[in-house]
Amino acid sequence: MGKKKCVAMLLAGGKGSRLNSLTKDLAKPAVPFGGKYRIIDFPLSNCANSGIDTVGVLTQYQPLLLNSYIGIGSAWDLDRKDGGVTVLPPYAETSEVKWYTGTASAIYQNLNYLKQYQPEYVLILSGDHIYKMNYESMLEYHIEKRADVTISLIEVPWAEASRFGIMNTNEDLRITEFEEKPAEPKNNLASMGIYIFSWNILKDYLEMDARNSKSSHDFGKDIIPTLLDENKKLYAYPFKGYWKDVGTVKSLWEANMDLLNDECDLDLFDHDWRIYSVNPNQPPQYISPEAIVKESLINEGCTIEGEIDNSVLFQGVSVGKGSIIKESVIMPDAVIGENVKIEKAIVPSDAVIPDGTVIRSFDDEIILVTEEMLSGIYPAFK
Amino acid sequence: MQRKLLGVIDATTYHDDLEELLTHRSLAALPFAGRYRIIDFVLSNMVNSGIQSVAIFPKMMYRSLMDHLGSGKNWDLNRKRDGLFFFPTPVVDSDINKIGSFENFAANLDFFYRSSQEYSLITNCYTVFNMDFAPLLEWHMHSGCDITEIFHENGTPMKMYLVKTSLLVKLIETRNETGYTCMKDVVLDSEHFYSICRYEYSGYAEMINSIQNYFSTSLNLLNSDVWKQLFIKEHPILTKVKDEPPTRYLKGSTVQNAMIANGCLINGSVENSIISRGVKIGKGAVIKNCIIMQKCVIEDNCYLDSVILDKDVKVEAGTILTGTARDPYVVRKGTKQGALMKS
Repeated sequence: MGKKKCVAMLLAGGKGSRLNSLTKDLAKPAVPFGGKYRIIDFPLSNCANSGIDTVGVLTQYQPLLLNSYIGIGSAWDLDRKDGGVTVLPPYAETSEVKWYTGTASAIYQNLNYLKQYQPEYVLILSGDHIYKMNYESMLEYHIEKRADVTISLIEVPWAEASRFGIMNTNEDLRITEFEEKPAEPKNNLASMGIYIFSWNILKDYLEMDARNSKSSHDFGKDIIPTLLDENKKLYAYPFKGYWKDVGTVKSLWEANMDLLNDECDLDLFDHDWRIYSVNPNQPPQYISPEAIVKESLINEGCTIEGEIDNSVLFQGVSVGKGSIIKESVIMPDAVIGENVKIEKAIVPSDAVIPDGTVIRSFDDEIILVTEEMLSGIYPAFK
Repeated sequence: MQRKLLGVIDATTYHDDLEELLTHRSLAALPFAGRYRIIDFVLSNMVNSGIQSVAIFPKMMYRSLMDHLGSGKNWDLNRKRDGLFFFPTPVVDSDINKIGSFENFAANLDFFYRSSQEYSLITNCYTVFNMDFAPLLEWHMHSGCDITEIFHENGTPMKMYLVKTSLLVKLIETRNETGYTCMKDVVLDSEHFYSICRYEYSGYAEMINSIQNYFSTSLNLLNSDVWKQLFIKEHPILTKVKDEPPTRYLKGSTVQNAMIANGCLINGSVENSIISRGVKIGKGAVIKNCIIMQKCVIEDNCYLDSVILDKDVKVEAGTILTGTARDPYVVRKGTKQGALMKS
């Protein structure tokens, strides 16, 4: 194996339980987003666009679809002779199966994967967020600061700060304090869960942490506080731009709706920073003579005979005559019958919505359409 | 099937009536239906029918065709054994409208010697159809015929021939003695002892040979009875994939009866048209009965009726361009149309 300057480790084992039935059979990074993508397309495309060609993807929860989606990485141009994408599931040793119990333990158990590339730096990513970021610039910053660890951070609304890992820094952006989900945050600079470690620091501290039976083996809770205690050089890398955690039904819906907003910073049409994905190869979308399409994002393979208003439609969706889809996200290959009304909802992949169905929220909640709902537990919707 | 049938696509054809669209590309690479090239139809049909070895014989201006086909990966033809083969012809002055010219094949006779497939299917590159060749092979094998020619249901020859590879090799080797220059010569001659059969194909098929027929065939796709015969989930038409985002419909846009590929930004109004990948349509622009190819930019308040815009055309704000159904207005690739250059 050739030596690599920087290797990325993408934590993609998340269960995403707040996405309810969307992640019943699917790891969170594989959840569909933006009319054609899956969440993991964003960090993988960022790697490809940042010139990082060696990426270990750590999977654990419901990995089947995720593994086959990633394949050998050709969709992201990451099928390389040397490096490329490697899917890293937990594995068994002579005495026991070692499940990934925390973010740090997942990396620790794959130190041998990293060692074969003799990296100088390791980039730790998560597969839970929608954003475009140049990791190469962050690496340059890390080198310039002669940092041991660099953590990227973003300004979040004060009201939400207690949901995040909050960093306090000095004027030089050196991190002085790191609080994981503080009840009373001292500022609103949140960790994006993106770390660059200098290799020796990462290796030493992961090995030390693995021996500590009291540790929860988590970067935010264990590794970062220990490094701060020992006065290591941790720097904050301020990120400006679109970044969204799509961990809940509401935030997933919001992030999709953001794509219909002209003010939104996330530009999917920028050819200099393309978001790659596995292309489904379907015919162009067909908009019938009766159809009405207003301010929407529609993918190939769709057949539209009804009205689409402020919605995001994935590939292969069909919408029958007289149906109205408003402010909704319709995932791949869903079949919407005739005279259906759907408002403020997420319709999952392959769902079949019978003729005349009405799905509408009575409060401001976003409805996640489920099989139970459609099989008549809520006849009121029909 | 994969071990039995070899696909041979003759991509040397040139039609004078399509000249305006063929100045930069070969007929096989003519964009069609918003995201395809014409050759995608026959090539995908071959792959969907289980053919794993396909030889393409192009001629002249094959840069865009090679760029499109690449290693054959999008058709799953990047195989260790068999796969996609590309044989640009060294024959300069042969009749370019002959399908399956033996002179072209002769230059690559070694390929036919080396192929292990017992049968060869020789086709043209310009037919828009979705056909399963497996029943044809089955039929041919049981018929005991030496050569089977495919006819469309209305009696039109489709310029596709199924023949034993060994017989094809013999026909190529003896071309100077027999005087046969292509498959058509053989099937039209009654002086030989080969049995010639007709296989009738009753599905949708259109052969593209003029601007008018390209235009009407394209707009006919908007008829759902037609596109449902062409775009079948189980037998997809495969093409080179591009990483374009979904198409975005912005405020003020109206779209009716249209086929639209990915990566478009639509502000204006589109009616009865085919819009290819990555097209931008400005505010107040009206696009009616048009075929707009890849990456065209139509600025605000333009009016286009019965127009074909080739790739990368820019139409400046306020321009009016009109043609007719029989004589669409064609704008050549990469050009700019200004408001003062009205047709």
